[in-house]
Amino acid sequence: MSATGAVTGIGLVSPVGVAVETVFDAVCSGRSGLTRPPEDHPLHGVVDVAAFGPPIAADSVLAPKDARTVDRSIVMALRAAEDALADAGIVVGRDVDEYRVAVVLSGVGGLETLAQQALERSRRGRLGVSPFMLPGVLPNMAAARTAIKFGIRGYTSSVGTACAAGGQSLGEALRILRAGEADVVVCGCTEAPLFPTFADAFGNALALARGWPDPASASRPFDRRRNGLVLGEAAGVFVLERPEFARARGADVRAALLGWGATSDAYHPTTPRPDGSSAAESMRIALRDAGLEAGDIGYLNAHGTSTKAGDAAETKAIHGVFGANMPPVSSTKGVTGHMLGASGVVEAAISVTALRRGLLPPTHNLDDPDPACDLAHIRKEPLAATVDAVMSNSFGFGGHNVSVIFGRADG
Amino acid sequence: MIAEIRLFLLRSLTEMRYDTDGIDDDTVLGPAGADLESLALAELAMRVEDQYGVRFLDDEAERFAAMTVGEFCAAVENRVKAASAT
Repeated sequence: MSATGAVTGIGLVSPVGVAVETVFDAVCSGRSGLTRPPEDHPLHGVVDVAAFGPPIAADSVLAPKDARTVDRSIVMALRAAEDALADAGIVVGRDVDEYRVAVVLSGVGGLETLAQQALERSRRGRLGVSPFMLPGVLPNMAAARTAIKFGIRGYTSSVGTACAAGGQSLGEALRILRAGEADVVVCGCTEAPLFPTFADAFGNALALARGWPDPASASRPFDRRRNGLVLGEAAGVFVLERPEFARARGADVRAALLGWGATSDAYHPTTPRPDGSSAAESMRIALRDAGLEAGDIGYLNAHGTSTKAGDAAETKAIHGVFGANMPPVSSTKGVTGHMLGASGVVEAAISVTALRRGLLPPTHNLDDPDPACDLAHIRKEPLAATVDAVMSNSFGFGGHNVSVIFGRADG
Repeated sequence: MIAEIRLFLLRSLTEMRYDTDGIDDDTVLGPAGADLESLALAELAMRVEDQYGVRFLDDEAERFAAMTVGEFCAAVENRVKAASAT
């Protein structure tokens, strides 16, 4: 078995809060982040319900001249990265060599900025296109801006696997640490999909939940009446370190990233492989990578987006891996909505907190479990349980499957 | 016309969220003064084109960095006059 990644810092910007404990309390108590778009929001009348993150002034993370030209995805990422580094007590250059820090920060990029620029281009021609468009739009810019803001000069990348990108960024970070290519990795994902063109793309693909009088009930993973996902925005950033490095600097290690797995469905651009076989294999690879057996997993945070096909395929995958050893399972998207790639990081934070607190969050709105989703559901109330290892799944359009496993810091 | 161009420049800098306090005709536009970076200078050239219908080519816009506010306003005025004379 190979080395682990020490979790020393977490920063979140999510529809249910920015502090990790606040987010965890929300998913445990069912305090929903799902609302109707306010009347002054561009999504009003476009979607029934969405999961909005808190307003964050761009000026709070960037100089005014830079704040003017960045996408919301960047603003959320910088806030989450700042909070994660502060949580870890790391000042780059003081606590770690600037070339020994890596950044793996993902997401689809500043697509709202691109959409606005396309409108301006059609309205005003060439002069409608800002020279600042590319640093606003390119998907690597969350990583690049993070490197610039915090003086990080090591390996930098951005993973483009849609809703699996957050989980995969944690996995890539672990690979970098194991290879000894960095002492610290700032890793995560940021997504700001709440604008009309993007929302219509999901809506027209019939992927969105619809027809729920109470917006808080629209996201209902594994429930018989589920009819789609609720789009959400979020950023999540972890600080992972080589365990030896974290120990040497006296860091407070919250948990250990023990292993991860990644596979591809090789099936369809948007529909998950119905038998869940590739997703199952990503969980098996993660178990092997962590040196664990299926029975060692004490909690599984499912991808569970509340779509008909996705939840059923994940159920098959979980059965295939765990059989009679199925751990308690929940999807926390009932209160957070689907924050696309950032879900994997927010849910990793929730899973780590569940491990530390001995409290497993339920699946909100799971009133009537679908027989096609016959899992060991945690429903209505959180479940108190001492667990030593937790798994979190993330699956993305394109058929990307990622599973990550966390264990105790002292394990 | 220079005065109007100067007002246009200050308005542009404000919209681009640069600090215009203490900027006068002798302030250099680039890093030595107002601190406009290359993309900001490119945007300024586009704003001039939008406002006055005259275009500065790439190498000309790059020279904005070394110009003072006074020199920039004069350069724009010259270009506008040359354009209206033809």
